[in-house]
Amino acid sequence: MSDAKKETLVMEHLVSLRYEEELTPILERYVDALIDGRIVGHKCPQCGRVFVPGKGYCPMCVVETTERDEVEVADTGTVTGFTIITPVAYYGQEETEPFVYASVLLDGADSTLGGQDVVGIPHDQIHSGLRVRAVWRPKEKRSGNAVTNRGWGSVASVIDAFEPTGEPDMDRAKFEEHIF
Amino acid sequence: MSDVAVVGWAQTPSVRLARESEVQLLVPTVAQALARANLDRREIGFTCAGSCDYLTGGPFAFVSNLEAAGAWPPIAESHVEMDGAWAMYEAWVRLQHGDIDTALVFGSGKSSPSQPAEVWAQQLDPYYLAPLGVDPVSLAGIQARALLDAGKATERDFAEVAVRSRHNAVDNPNAQVKGDASVDALLAEPYVRAPLRKHDLPPISDGAVAVVLARGDRARQLCERPAWIRGLDHRIEVHQPGMRDLTASPSTTLAARKAGYDGGPLDVIELSATFSPQELILREALGLDAGANVNPSGGALAANPVMATGLIRIVEVAQRIASGAADRGLAHATGGQVLQHNLVCMLEGE
Amino acid sequence: MAERCAIVGVGQTHHKKRRDDVSIPGLLREAALRALEDAECTFADIDAVVIGKAPDAFEGIVQPELFLAEALGGAGKPMLRVHTAGSVGGTTVIVGAHLVQSRIHQRVLAVAWEKQSEGNAQWGLAGGRSRGIGAGGAFAPWIRAYIEQTGAPEYIGWQVAVKDRLNALKNPYAHLHLPDISIEKVKESAMLWDPLRFLESCPSSDGACAVVLTDEAGGKRAPKPAAWIEATAVRSELGVFPGRNPVRPQAGVECAHDVYRQAGISVPRQEIDVAELYVPFSWYEPMWLEGHDIAGPGEGWKMVESGDTEITGSFPVNPSGGVLSSNPIGASGMLRFAEAALQVRGLAGEHQVDGVRTALAQAYGGGAQYFAMGVLRSEPS
Repeated sequence: MSDAKKETLVMEHLVSLRYEEELTPILERYVDALIDGRIVGHKCPQCGRVFVPGKGYCPMCVVETTERDEVEVADTGTVTGFTIITPVAYYGQEETEPFVYASVLLDGADSTLGGQDVVGIPHDQIHSGLRVRAVWRPKEKRSGNAVTNRGWGSVASVIDAFEPTGEPDMDRAKFEEHIF
Repeated sequence: MSDVAVVGWAQTPSVRLARESEVQLLVPTVAQALARANLDRREIGFTCAGSCDYLTGGPFAFVSNLEAAGAWPPIAESHVEMDGAWAMYEAWVRLQHGDIDTALVFGSGKSSPSQPAEVWAQQLDPYYLAPLGVDPVSLAGIQARALLDAGKATERDFAEVAVRSRHNAVDNPNAQVKGDASVDALLAEPYVRAPLRKHDLPPISDGAVAVVLARGDRARQLCERPAWIRGLDHRIEVHQPGMRDLTASPSTTLAARKAGYDGGPLDVIELSATFSPQELILREALGLDAGANVNPSGGALAANPVMATGLIRIVEVAQRIASGAADRGLAHATGGQVLQHNLVCMLEGE
Repeated sequence: MAERCAIVGVGQTHHKKRRDDVSIPGLLREAALRALEDAECTFADIDAVVIGKAPDAFEGIVQPELFLAEALGGAGKPMLRVHTAGSVGGTTVIVGAHLVQSRIHQRVLAVAWEKQSEGNAQWGLAGGRSRGIGAGGAFAPWIRAYIEQTGAPEYIGWQVAVKDRLNALKNPYAHLHLPDISIEKVKESAMLWDPLRFLESCPSSDGACAVVLTDEAGGKRAPKPAAWIEATAVRSELGVFPGRNPVRPQAGVECAHDVYRQAGISVPRQEIDVAELYVPFSWYEPMWLEGHDIAGPGEGWKMVESGDTEITGSFPVNPSGGVLSSNPIGASGMLRFAEAALQVRGLAGEHQVDGVRTALAQAYGGGAQYFAMGVLRSEPS
């Protein structure tokens, strides 16, 4: 290496790649139900656990699940874990204020809905065990646009957030197994 | 070196567009491969997967694929950002340690959600090549042109590769592009990227494949006629296409030699030639004669689920050995563009 | 019987937010050449190359190892690209070790890197979508759960943050050199993912790490002391499932017990002299001490509080400054193995812990679901 600092050439190369994927048939049914005001999942025929949304298989037993295994769960549940995120700017980011990122265990489900917003309560009062209910969009404003095969946006564009129900907190022991 | 054999396998039919998610494709494939090997997933000593985040369009895409392997209770597992054939390489190396007897390997990819020509254009030197907009089909076209200019092949030779591939694929329920075409009819079609025509290019495919390996006596317990891996090697060449002879594949020749291929008779050869001229290059690199039984499955021109294509070649050879139809075979996998990285697997019945 | 494997060369770059003085190949070669020089050999002596890197999306290059073949003397050789999320640097060393232990190759170069300044990792992590949770968003709820479960006082995280940055002052390669770091400064820094503050979180670094692995004969005739790989293990578990304990992942427990068993360790707290653990967020130090059964349940934070994990303490953790001081993501896991190797070789310079014979290296990734661990010793067993 020579002593003189070499000037490094820097070039910006912006790349845009477009990915278009149809929802799987299972997720299509899930979205139809969501728009209709119902939250459905798949119940594993082997272990009985309920996954929302259904994936077409039980990740614990690795057995396939189908429409026949579809069950409905409530739109109420419990916050089992959360954080408040201070947003960072990057291409595609729309958030500018600290936002809630909570896992919600719906009554009847064994898997949690991740990345949910919680409204109607100051951020510093949100806590694990908080009982919540879904804040549904008016029917005409619901769409499946934000639901993807990748697990992002599991209820987005239909349920915008969860709000406290006012019930007493859920006993910690009941959700210790579902903190994510 | 421990003797390791392929004792189980399964693949999905390659399709232009699979409505299921990649994991949904893998779940039954893995289950079938295990069933064929008479193993429960909990008996497997090591698992390795091959996939590419950019095919899926998101970071950590391979994390979901883990669900197909059944990663609870916890498993010893790894992943390569490469075709499943290299995941098999890693598993084969792991088995040499001697402390475990079985391994599960899978490769998968859905090319349908994206434009492959755009995605693989980013698989190039980011300073000197990608910004030029070099796309994989054009690069393959340059390779084809070099072959023609060197007098090593004609466009008719390319078309004949395609005709043979489609004809062989008729008997392959997992192949996507199949049928009987005439060389002249194909040559009458317009160029896509001269001198390449549509039939010289691979299809866009979604698919998955899984393989179960076992060591020594365990393999004999699990499978009536295991397909023994007699040699496995891979070699990479320089990346800059301008710095190598695109009409030859010295890394394939070297990998084959290191894998123990001595030029002797082969009952079946499966080559990952995704563009028809590449089959000619690979045949020459391996010293195959005109009568060699190349790509009875139809090869990569008949089905190209990227990240699974190479491992499928191994499966196609292994299953023919297991059925007794063949005794000795060679499977080839490739990575990168215009044959930059090549893997050769020698398989034999006992 | 597997062949023995030793690390006989270690190299790393000066980790910085932006290494705009080198291209990606230049970054890797800086680390690789240092490792080769340390081992007193050249690229020509290397039989195979194993590369590890975090998601390709972080730099926006699909399978970048392909264009790096020339730069790493890889032409004509086998090259593998491992990708196991954050643990990848560790897994890369392990895959390299397997190639030697299986007697397939005698000398392997393992390289891991990240040049985050040439891409946008925040965008990469978010998959280009809004409401990205960044690196810490997934872990913050579990850290909160650990604090609630153990009743740990809030300053434990701040203590770890200060300790690692003070250690980094003794490591010329570390990214963050913060001589003014203090508990107050950490406490007052911006909240990122409640309860994690800015100064409790890892930086985003450009950097690379390389190690030269060889067999028993190579280890014994190495010009400098070798670091003997006594044990390696990898474990993975599902990231999200009912009944998961993300605070103390089962895969982490089992991975640790596998390496302890291979290395003949029954009381890790006593039989390990130093540990380089993947701690990208301060609270992961007490969490991994418990998660790998070095400390009992609820005791991890007490080891921190009492100063046991200080560089002069009874169980030093991250004398290099750790991931909290340098985080070229793909390389961070390998740096743990490299630093553990330097410790047992007695070559860690100013941040050398006295009398190290046994070191533990650990890397984790994904939703704290992938683990790669190793035990290194100054003498082969």
